Amino acid sequence: MMDCADYRRAIFADPLHPGAQLRAHAAACRDCSEYTQRLLRFEGRLERALHVNVDALGAAPAGVVLPFAASRRRAGSPQRTRRRAFAIAASVLAGVLVAGGLWIAAPGSSLAADVVSHMAEEPDAWARTDVAVPQPKLDQVLREAHVRLKPSAGLVSYANSCPFRGHVVPHLVVQTDSGPVTVMVLAHEPVKRSVRFDEHGYRGMIVPVPNHGSLAVLERGPNTGNRAVEGVASQVLGAIEWTP
Amino acid sequence: MKDLVGGNQKRARFQALCQSLRPDLLRFAFWLSRDRALAEDVVQEALLRAWKARDSLLQESAAKPWFLTIIRREYARTFERKRFVTLDVEDLIAKEEPMLAERDDSDLAEMRAAIFRLPQEYREPLALQVLMGYSTAEIAAELELSNAAVLTRLFRARKQLRASCGEDTRMDPEE
Repeated sequence: MMDCADYRRAIFADPLHPGAQLRAHAAACRDCSEYTQRLLRFEGRLERALHVNVDALGAAPAGVVLPFAASRRRAGSPQRTRRRAFAIAASVLAGVLVAGGLWIAAPGSSLAADVVSHMAEEPDAWARTDVAVPQPKLDQVLREAHVRLKPSAGLVSYANSCPFRGHVVPHLVVQTDSGPVTVMVLAHEPVKRSVRFDEHGYRGMIVPVPNHGSLAVLERGPNTGNRAVEGVASQVLGAIEWTP
Repeated sequence: MKDLVGGNQKRARFQALCQSLRPDLLRFAFWLSRDRALAEDVVQEALLRAWKARDSLLQESAAKPWFLTIIRREYARTFERKRFVTLDVEDLIAKEEPMLAERDDSDLAEMRAAIFRLPQEYREPLALQVLMGYSTAEIAAELELSNAAVLTRLFRARKQLRASCGEDTRMDPEE
């Protein structure tokens, strides 16, 4: 049986990926469980700190800067290559974004920014788990927002009614193979088109819901290419029902 | 004509791949180099090299570690090309202050400065783990270290960071 010192040494080096033995110890030891929660709060700050704003890095925010034309010539100095690349990217970027039917959210002033700010208030919601939120709690949160959710939405591990922009909205977490994905049901926030965002370590999208505002769907941590976010957005859109 | 269409599709696919990964690649290069301009250059050169070597990427699912390895090599090449003078880390922090600062969150700026002060041997595995989502085994493979060495470095990195950031470390484990 693992003792507390062994547990803390192991969890300290990798707090986000405890093995079965570590999870078993934490489940049986209240002190270590509380210590882990404190470590995870620190880990959340560390993760946010590492996610520096990439819009401030480079002149082509969140866009592709792949200098194909330059690749046919001999590469010059890094500085020259960068200037060349950015010139090409400037013409390519608009086409790429429009063709995809998506716009990158302007940082700091958007609905996306407010969603991301809200995430910082509930770090504990991001736990990776296979335990569903108690059904009565989920029902209560959904009822307050006049919605129902079919089981096809996936495993909902967290549900809370949260104040957001003057309304109380459902804040849900759906578990996926690549980790937890947060969904906020924003019935009072209509958007004209899907908007992607990548801010402060959170990436996701705001998806329009015809006649019912929008859904904010986001993940944090390593970039998985938005597959989990798109999957959950699609699942929840297909599973949500609006009640009078 | 068919080849042209196929080529364009391949290029578009590669471009989309770069677009989805570029933010994290830039972040990783920034923490590796602690220099915004250098990070941009390294990523740009790495993307060029990646495009030229695209045939060696057999599966898209392996793209992230593939790009990351190219970035690490490109960064190492930069060191070979230039003989960097020893820099005071406080000067680096002052130089990159706009990148490290966070509106309405001075704790985050403090944490970023603390990460800047970590030696590269601790900073790099930490960025791979927390930013890029690498497992201990994946970090070990990338850095050509043993699993135990990686865990030791991650342990020491967090130990230093928590002390620098004024965390309550009384219950933290000893090495």
